[in-house]
This record gives sequence, structure tokens and C-alpha cells, in this order.
Amino acid sequence: MTLRTTAVAAMLAACPFISTPSAFAQAAAEWPSERPPRPQPARRVAFPPYEIKTLPNGLRVVVVQQHEQPVISLRLLVRAGAAADPKGKAGLATLASALLDQGTKTRSASQIADAIDYIGGGLGTGAGTDLSFLNVIVMKDSFEQALTLLSDVARNPAFAPEELDRQRSQILNGLKVSYEDPEYVADAVIDRLVFGFHPYGRPGSGTPDTVASITREDLLTFHQTYFAPNNAILAVVGDTTPEEALAGVTKAFGDWAKKDIPPPTSLQPPDPTRRVIVVDRPDAVQTEIRVGQIAIQRNHPDYLALNVAIKILGGEGGNRLQGVLRSDRGLTYGAAADMNAYKQTGAIVADTDTRTETTIEALRVMVDEFFRLQRDRVVDGELASAQAYLAGNFPLTIETSDAIALQVLNALFYELDLKELETYRERVNGVTPDDIQRVARAYLKPGRLSVVLVGNASAFVKQLKEAGFDEIELVRLADLDLTTVDFRKGAKPAAGG
Amino acid sequence: MPKIPPVFSRSAALAIALVWVGLTGQVVDARVRPPKLEYKHVTLPNGLNVILHEDHSTPIVHLQLWYHVGSKDEKAGRTGFAHLFEHMMFQGSKNVGREQHNSLIASVGGESNAYTTEDATVFWETLPSNYLPLILWLEADRMATLKLDQESFSRERNVVKEERRQKIENPPYGRLPELVAEHAFMVHPYKHVVMGSMADLEAASIEDVREFHQTYYVPENAVLVLAGDFDTTDAVALVEKYFGRVPKAAKPLKRDIPVEPKQEKERRLTVYENVPLPAVVVAHHITFDGHPDSYPLHIASKVLSDGQSSRIYRKLVYEDQIALAAFGGGNIIENPNLFFATAIVQPGQSPEKVEKALAAELDRLRLEPITEHELERTKNQFARDYILGRQTVQDKASALAHAMVLHQGQLSTADGEFDIFMNTKVSDVQRVARTYFTPDTRLVLTILPKGSAPSGGAAGPGL
Repeated sequence: MTLRTTAVAAMLAACPFISTPSAFAQAAAEWPSERPPRPQPARRVAFPPYEIKTLPNGLRVVVVQQHEQPVISLRLLVRAGAAADPKGKAGLATLASALLDQGTKTRSASQIADAIDYIGGGLGTGAGTDLSFLNVIVMKDSFEQALTLLSDVARNPAFAPEELDRQRSQILNGLKVSYEDPEYVADAVIDRLVFGFHPYGRPGSGTPDTVASITREDLLTFHQTYFAPNNAILAVVGDTTPEEALAGVTKAFGDWAKKDIPPPTSLQPPDPTRRVIVVDRPDAVQTEIRVGQIAIQRNHPDYLALNVAIKILGGEGGNRLQGVLRSDRGLTYGAAADMNAYKQTGAIVADTDTRTETTIEALRVMVDEFFRLQRDRVVDGELASAQAYLAGNFPLTIETSDAIALQVLNALFYELDLKELETYRERVNGVTPDDIQRVARAYLKPGRLSVVLVGNASAFVKQLKEAGFDEIELVRLADLDLTTVDFRKGAKPAAGG
Repeated sequence: MPKIPPVFSRSAALAIALVWVGLTGQVVDARVRPPKLEYKHVTLPNGLNVILHEDHSTPIVHLQLWYHVGSKDEKAGRTGFAHLFEHMMFQGSKNVGREQHNSLIASVGGESNAYTTEDATVFWETLPSNYLPLILWLEADRMATLKLDQESFSRERNVVKEERRQKIENPPYGRLPELVAEHAFMVHPYKHVVMGSMADLEAASIEDVREFHQTYYVPENAVLVLAGDFDTTDAVALVEKYFGRVPKAAKPLKRDIPVEPKQEKERRLTVYENVPLPAVVVAHHITFDGHPDSYPLHIASKVLSDGQSSRIYRKLVYEDQIALAAFGGGNIIENPNLFFATAIVQPGQSPEKVEKALAAELDRLRLEPITEHELERTKNQFARDYILGRQTVQDKASALAHAMVLHQGQLSTADGEFDIFMNTKVSDVQRVARTYFTPDTRLVLTILPKGSAPSGGAAGPGL
């Protein structure tokens, strides 16, 4: 049931509907007054079967079968992403992943594109915070070709100088566009504010300076260091059998040699600090708002309870922010809060956008909601609603074999107990109002939130001060540098940038 | 003003396309192909068309309710109204409180949303299959008894204005589709984008909302598709129970959509916008979805822009490196729209050079046949799109609803088009390129950064 039933009912009562002198009103009058129908008996649902095998060289292989459509997808994860970029080389993992399919020792970039396109397949590569990935999708009859191609681009990238120049120029010019995109800027600045100079605070695609400094040697070193079977997980998903899949994977990846992988440099995440960064974009008609703080890592025992609390603040099945900002006040098209939890730590970030004039009103509401979540115990109905959504949504999360495989990959990647896949609903339903209050008190820091506003500063900076945000750091968009302490160009780059 | 020809001419064209495949009796290549999409189609006495597809692989059900009304049905001075109305459908009905629609669905783990296009407004829900009665009841309630009040209308209008700012006015290149539409069409309502203008959103009234609901949100103008884990006989009984009581429309629906006159000569213009790099669009008017020419045009889109081996990517982005991003393709929808090639210009490159390169790719399709190898590649890519486009109950429902609503009731096209594509020849692609990509009827739009305006940053013509 709706979280705001009482408020809504009161509002509707106070505001009678305009009379409708027509067939329309007549139809409504004749329409029965009734309560929602009861559900039919629930169907049984369990996490679908999957297989996990480890090859002698350490490559973990997940197989999920699906025989309805004649298609197979391959997903290779390597345990190194943007957080492994060396100091001053932000963007290395992203550039390396962009180059994987741009030529190998035996195939040119064009040959790879011709091969995958001709069989009606798809090949995608990329880097996240803690991982790099390669995805291939093909029709069933091209399975062997897909494995051969995937193995080649993952293991033998050429990093040819002309391809490096081409991709570097694409990334640098792409950044020119991104720096004019208020959503990109707001997201990049809040990450830097929340994670500070921890590797998670660096922009994954790098900055113009760091991308310019990356050499072919850097790329080769990154690839040689981290791309190894014992540092990777491969999912084979679709119209195949475990026997066929494992035989194919063994043939394509069995001779990939194991390596010693250096342990990740584990750094303490910074303490939450209250900073307000305003990025000035004088011609903006809307302000992008981010409010965030440091949180916990994905495999933390309190992850589930804190994640449920953040769903109440701004996620599906709850979302106080959307209720107040959109439904009650019409200030925005959308508002949400998310916990992004990675290997070493995580962040809670709330986001919205609103017209310039209502910037401060929206910001105050968001900050208030962080305070309220910590101060007031959640009412049972509100928690039940969030739990009902999360538990009830389970069958929707196992509809496709790819979605199933992603959950298994996620569990393996974050070293979670695989049994958790089966017990998800019970664990969600086991969270109590006491748990929510405990984690809200332990982890929320409403007095030390980081705030980013990207918009027409002159229209709201004065109000911002009046609202109690007195220490404001104002940066012109043209001066923005994500690697310096004060976010301005020309300043000294900080350690780790 | 000229009017759109009677709809049966569209469906006739489509029928011809299907029959032609049947008559030529060509054996489709032995490539991997999708399984047939089975369905049952019933029509209720009030005119509601219902299509059901059973799929027991996961215990979930998806409902898709299409109303055949989009931005092209909007009257003058009310652009953006079809989409604004979509928002009003979440503001409560006789038995459902404001925004309770979504919260009831979320409270059982379901997902729900809606979207509006130029041609249709679509409401959908996916949820555990034992809640099928709930979604039927919810959708029927708002079809029959939408509640209207000034306060929620004003608030929702503000939400839509924020949506316009977020998607169109604030991001770089956000206005690109709007600029193209505005300059490509003279009279057809495709001249404005689905979001509409701020002024028209402001002008809309609650009376407009009522009239729109009575005119377009009637059973005859809707198609209900269910896909998922149910027994078809039981589901039909439930549909009859909840939708059978929705009254028939008071009067038949008349459409009054002006026909775009043929563009007789090239149109060129330059506008100055808040963009970091220049952009170029080269566009041609084409035909509608389901016309026999639409299939080779889809193939042309793939030749130009599906994958890194496609022509525009390889030439402009990879080899010549004159574009940061470049794309060509057809917007093939219910009424004739555009085929366009567009690019963001790399720093140091001239927009003129990029325009010539885009135009050269369209010319090449006209002047020489594509290769058999390219044709084979695009067919394989189509097979992939078909298969990947049928993985979820939502995908399957979309394919059926699209065929029913936008192919004038010709449900068999949901599967039948596969063979049309597989039987397309290189000569077909060249024929449609010759028909539509005529250089003297081009639209060329160049968007330059504001600072680069010739005289003190003044806006260019047309703005």
C-alpha cells in the first residue's frame, strides 16, 4: 500500500473534483466502488540451477542454461578496474579495455569488427571501478567462433600505437562533451568529494591530463599484471549444456598461463567531510544536485540492512525523496538515493535535478531526509513496503539467463556466500525496524554530507548561505579539475590524483 | 489542409509485402531463427483488442496497454499534451488514490511505468503472475474512471516541465531532435517532439485532459497484451470481468492528421546552440512503418551503422577520424518520418567536410548496390535483433502490441517480417535509396557552438 495514503486521502478530500457533466461522470457513477482483487495462489519460485567449475589454471567458469532462444552470451570479468590505475594515470583501465577489441597479435581492429558483425554477434568491452569486462553475444551456431575471438582479445591485445592514438583522441574529445554535461560533472565531483583521494574518487575515464600521459608501456603493464585466468571469472549463458560449454572454454582458455597477482593496495577511505562545491554553469536552466557520504563495502555484514534503509530513503518500494520532491512538491522529474558498494568501501549518494529557482528548497529537503532517516524510527508499514518490494521482485530478477548469471558473477566477484542467492527473500524479510535504526545511527552522517550543485550559481549562492551552507566553494565549469584539492585548474595535484 | 489517406491503404501495402513473400516462395536461408511467437487474439464487445501469449518459464506476468494516441494526434497549441496526459493516468481513479497505482504494484514486488511516442501511449506492468487480477483491475479502473483535479494537474505539469528541462534543455545536444523535427516538417505534427513546448504545456487545461480521455482512452482505441505465466482461458475470463464493464466510446474516433507536402528542394540552415562541438544532420523524408520500402530502409540503416564494420562508423570515425560519433538510420514510424545521418564533428575538422562525408554515404547507397557480403551481415544482425528482442515477457508483448497497433491489426507481422527481411535483395536497397535519398530534397542542419556565431553570438535563423 502507498506510504502516503493518509496524506493523499486528506488532500483529495480537501480538493473536490471538478464536476463532470457528461457520459464520463455517468460511467464513473455506475462503476463499482471496490477494493483491489485478491491475488491467486502464489507460484513456487527458486533460484534457477547453475554450474560452477574451476579450470586447472584457476579460471572460474559459471554455466547457466536456457534453451528457449538460440543464443549464447559470454561474460568475462577480470578483477582489476579503474581503482587499479596508477597515480597520475587515471583512465588507464578504461583506455586498456577500449583497446582490447582494437587489434590482437593476429587480427586487426577491422578484422575483429568484420568477424563479429558478420555472424550477427556483439562484442563489448569496458572497465568499472574494481573490474574490467568483455561481453560477447552470438547465435548458437557461432559459439566456437565466439570463444576463439573472446580468448584472443582478452589474452593477446596488440595495443598498437595507431589504435592507441585513435582511442585516446576519442576519449579526450568525449571528455570535452562530458564536461559540458551537468550530470557527468555532478557525478564525477560527488565521487571525488565522498571518496577523496582514495582510488574510488578518481574519474574512471580519466581527465584530459591523465589520459594524455598514458603510454603504450602503461597499457602493456596493466594487461600483463592483471589479465590472468586465476584473476578472472567467465560466464557461459544460454542455449548450451555444461559439458559443451566447459569443453569449449577449456579449448579456448585452458592454455592461458596462471600468474601471481599483486594484492590490491588497500587504503583507508576518508572520514566524511562537509563540503559544498558549486560548479557554475551560468546558462543552466536546471541545477543538478548530489548529496552524498562514505558508506560500507559490498561484503560488509551490515550491507543488506543499510541497503534497505537507503531504499526507504530513495529506492524502489520506498523512496521518501521522490515522494517529497516530486509527488508532494512537483520540484523534479526524478529523485533517488543509492548505495554504491564496491570491494573496499562504498558511497551513499542522493540525486535530483530541479529548476534553478527551486535549487535551495530541493537541497534542504534532501538533507532533511538524511537527518530524518537517522533521527526517526521507520514505521513498520514503511519497512514492510520496502521489504515486500524487494522480496516480491525476486522472480523478476531471474527471468533471463543473463540476469541469473549476473547474480552468480556478482556473488563470486564480491566473495559472498553463494547460499545468499537462495536465501535472499528470507534475509530481506528478516530486517527489523531496530536493524534500520541501528545502521542509520552507525553509518549516516547527516551533519557531514558532501554537496554538489551544478547550475547557474549566481541565482542561488546567496540563498545557499542564508540556508546555513556557509562554506561554499565556487568553481567555474571552465576551471574544473577533478584531480586537485580545490577542484580548480592550476592548483597542485594531490597525492593519488 | 491535406489529410492522411485512409488507414487501409497502409495495411494494404503491408499485406502486399507479406503476400509477395508468400508468392515468391523463396526458401529462407538455414540460419538460426527465432521460435514462432504463439498468441491468442480476442476482441471484447466494447471494442478492446486483447492478445495473450503464454510463457511459463518464470512465474511472472507482463501487461502492456497501448492507447493509439501519441504526439501526432495533438491539436495546435497543445504540443506535449499526449505525454502530459500519460502522467495524469497516475493521479488516481475511482477506486485508486493518487499515485497508488505504482505503490500497489511495488508492494507486491512489481514494476510499472509508461511512455509516450509520436504514435502511441503505452502503460506497462510486470509482476509475480498470481497478481494478474490486480493489474487488470488497476488498468480498467483508470481507463473507465480517471479522476481529475486542478491541484494534481498543476503539480504534474510542473513535473513534466522539469522532465523537459532535464532531457531537452539542460544537456548538450538535448535540442537536436527538436531542431531537426522543427525544420523538416511544415504541417505534419511530427514537426514537434513528444515533449512539446513549455508554452503549450503551460496553456493546457484540465478541460483538455477530460476531452482527451473521452476521445482517446476508450476500449476501441486500446490494445491489451498479456504475456507470461497464466492459462489463456482463465486470463481471458479475468480480462472480460474487469475490462468487459468499461463502456464503449460515446462517439467514433476521427483522426485529422495533416499530410506533409512533398519537399521539393534542398533546405539548409545553421543554428547556434550551447554545444561543445559542432554537429551535422543530413536528412531525407521516407515512408511509414510497414510499407514495402520500409524493410530495405531498415537494411540500409544497418549497412550504415550497425557495428564497427558498418560504413559510417568505419569511414567517419575510424578511418578518417573526422567525427567523434556518427550514425545513420531511419525513424520508421506510423506516418512518414525521416532517414538521417548525423555526426558530432571532431575538433579541428570542418562541419562542411563532415556533411559531405555523410551525404557521400547516402549517395553511395543510391549509386551502387551494397555488397552481397554486407547484405548477409545485416540479415544475420536482424536475426540477432529478433532473437534478443524476444527474451523477456516484456519484449514479446511489445512485439505483438507493435504489430497490432502500428501495423493496423496485422498481428501476423510480428513473425512475418522476419521472412521479408530474409528475402530482401541488394537491388531492393538500391531501389529505396534512389527513391528517397535524392540530393535535391535534402535537409542539412548544422549546429555550431554559440561562441562561434558570426556576429556577437546572435542566434541563427529559425530560432
